[in-house]
Amino acid sequence: MLVEIRPVARLRGKTPLDVSTPLTTVLEVLRDGTVDLSRVRVVCDWIQYKENFRDVVDVRQIGPGTPDQELEVAIDLRRAAAADLADLTRRLMAHNGSPEAPDRIWLEQWLPGSQGCIWLFNRLYWQALHLWERATGRGYESALPGGASDARNEAAIRELISDLFRIWDDLSDRRALPDELYVVELGVGNGNQAKAWLDEFVVMDREHGRDYYRRLHYLMCDYSPHVLDIARKTVAEHGDHVSSLVLDATTPTTVLGFLRYKVFLVYVSNVYDNLPCDEVVSIGGEAFAVETRAFLPASAAATIAASCSIETPALPALIHKLLQIGPELLAEAMPTQFADADAAVTFWRDCWQSLRRAERFVPMRGLDSYQITPGLSGEMLRPLLDARGDLRINVNNGAVASFVDTLPLLHPYGRLVCHDLFITDVEQCRTGFRGPGKYDGSVVNWVNGPLLAHIGSRKGIDVRYAPFAHRKGTSIVTMTAQVRD
Amino acid sequence: MLLPTTVVGSYSVPEWLERLKTDFYRKRLSAAHLSDIEDVAIKAAIKDQERAGIDIVSDGELRRDNDVDYLLARMPGVRPTTTVKSYYFDYYDLALTTPLTEQPVGLAEDFRFTREQTDKPIKFSFTGPFSLSRRIRDEAYGDRAELVRALARALNAEAHDLVRAGATMLQIDEPFLAGYPEQVALAVEAINIVTAGVEATWGLHVCYGNRYARPSWEGHYTFLFPTVLDARVDQLILEFARKGDEDLPAIADLGWDRALGLGVLDVKTEDVETSERVAKRISRALEVIDADKLIINPDCGLRHVTPPVARAKLRAMVEGAAVVRHRLLGTSEDLVAAGDSAAAD
Repeated sequence: MLVEIRPVARLRGKTPLDVSTPLTTVLEVLRDGTVDLSRVRVVCDWIQYKENFRDVVDVRQIGPGTPDQELEVAIDLRRAAAADLADLTRRLMAHNGSPEAPDRIWLEQWLPGSQGCIWLFNRLYWQALHLWERATGRGYESALPGGASDARNEAAIRELISDLFRIWDDLSDRRALPDELYVVELGVGNGNQAKAWLDEFVVMDREHGRDYYRRLHYLMCDYSPHVLDIARKTVAEHGDHVSSLVLDATTPTTVLGFLRYKVFLVYVSNVYDNLPCDEVVSIGGEAFAVETRAFLPASAAATIAASCSIETPALPALIHKLLQIGPELLAEAMPTQFADADAAVTFWRDCWQSLRRAERFVPMRGLDSYQITPGLSGEMLRPLLDARGDLRINVNNGAVASFVDTLPLLHPYGRLVCHDLFITDVEQCRTGFRGPGKYDGSVVNWVNGPLLAHIGSRKGIDVRYAPFAHRKGTSIVTMTAQVRD
Repeated sequence: MLLPTTVVGSYSVPEWLERLKTDFYRKRLSAAHLSDIEDVAIKAAIKDQERAGIDIVSDGELRRDNDVDYLLARMPGVRPTTTVKSYYFDYYDLALTTPLTEQPVGLAEDFRFTREQTDKPIKFSFTGPFSLSRRIRDEAYGDRAELVRALARALNAEAHDLVRAGATMLQIDEPFLAGYPEQVALAVEAINIVTAGVEATWGLHVCYGNRYARPSWEGHYTFLFPTVLDARVDQLILEFARKGDEDLPAIADLGWDRALGLGVLDVKTEDVETSERVAKRISRALEVIDADKLIINPDCGLRHVTPPVARAKLRAMVEGAAVVRHRLLGTSEDLVAAGDSAAAD
């Protein structure tokens, strides 16, 4: 049996984490059961998200689904002390580790993580953000770490603009500066970042004296037309210098293809961590895809079903209807169950709060049989998985797609700047939980920085990471990508 | 032949070959094994070109790690600061510690191998002295212009060696020149050193860069003029498919009366041009350039597109050229129709 304790940093210090009690409890349950202990691995995480998709104990099948397959028992040490670990483990193991436990209401079939319905919840959150915010009385920024987007940090903005001026001055002196100077922001939110950026640009341009503002085109891009409407109003005073475009952040060139090799700055803040993500596990030198299956605990499902006067078995279909048409149309379609849109939002929030994901590990036939994104082979994962020992990594398919499809937009002297939750070393995957977790109504995942750097390197792009320099104690990392050579 | 089709140099590098070449630079594959693999890949590249109907073929530069190091790193006196690369295609950091000799580095051997594989005419290309000079730290000359001239003399020796091996069509690539438009005079002076006394048809390829399928520079070809008129070359090979052909009239107006290699395939995209689009691009060029001066080629090397895309692009190019050739050799009405069709593009 292999026992892996990931949050090693918490084992020391003033209030060291108690590993022995929960571990002993789980091991005793396993010892008293019938499972082949030589085929069990136990992993201990410390899940930092107050809301997440995991139970305190999870059991995962490793392998092809045969009776002699291995099992992984996963413990969340943060919540272990408050839970009856022995009972939870015993109940899970009563089914010989099978996740087909009877106290779960399944919402979908087994799927790669990026295709699971948690991402439909995530999409709905951004589509119906105004309704969620109205129900909670809180703006989405308050759910971010630090309670505000780092995108509006003035010092960070000044630094970016200074860098642009330096490049433009140099190109201008060589008579190589284009007439139109394009800046693109992906995931524009409420437009506050764009406004802060443009306001600062005007001030600095006046001081600089080269009248770059006259030539500036700022393109605000977002998935949601509603969000763009709000953003447009926010930056109204910058008039003709700003355009807004609806686009999917994972495929920017479908809309921005006309700007190929023309954009000097693509700016992305807190977007990558919120895009669909697969996970891959390497155990004993073999690669496994993490398949997931969303469910509601049976007790929570019964409560939610009762609250809208339906039978529990009908709940999955109702949830998928919500995810498909949103709370406003759901209330219109089912007035008996939902008096108004707010009632449907309450239903949505209740489901979100109780939502869980089971996992199983499925052998990969070969990394090149897996596509990270269309046209990008899983071979790109090899250098990361070849690192020593067992490892579980985020593939961040949505972030990779966005990154890869953004690079062609960059002018030869352009750069992509991204503030987000990046891991910068695969070792961080061994020592911490990297998601997914729940923000208010959306998903958060740490972004696999070494993977993006590796992909960038293959495409002639230097990718650098640095701690966000303008706020102390933040987990945010700044990624800068620009053409090598 | 009217409107001959050719390639600019490099050919598609399959992903498996890329991995093996990278393995070599990470010391996981022997040089002998890599050489065998490259032999097979070159044969396949030539076959692809022949099957597509290309009139003048190349070895696809498939032995080369990139456009600079394959030549520079083998020149006596040039020293890489490290011999390990993350990707085979990455550039070394190179330093020149002693003056260059005029000793060929062995490109002729590559040509001989290619010659054995095909009966088609072969074009053999190598990077020019100006671009090579931009990737080297000079600790020998102390004067960059002198370094460029010394590189040109070394390449002249290489060219003589190639001609002795049977080469008749040589192409100098200057992918860095567009980034230093103020140094065209030096580049042209060096090109004339390279070509001096070498009995071959010479082409000069100037593009805006193709590292990792991205342009390195932006601008207009007018920067070449009038200096490039002094270059002792027979063909100027330029990219127009990606950039558009707005520079074409200027090139004619500024006095270029020799052959022009017309880039009709965008090599930075996997989108495959139709033969109709190729034909229109050629027809538009014919409005300002005489047909007997036009050579049809991709914008640059095809190394960054996948093999199926490279094959499809070449087929489209050959078919497009054939359509225009047929029109030109047909009736005068056909010629007018070609012009009308082009105007609609």
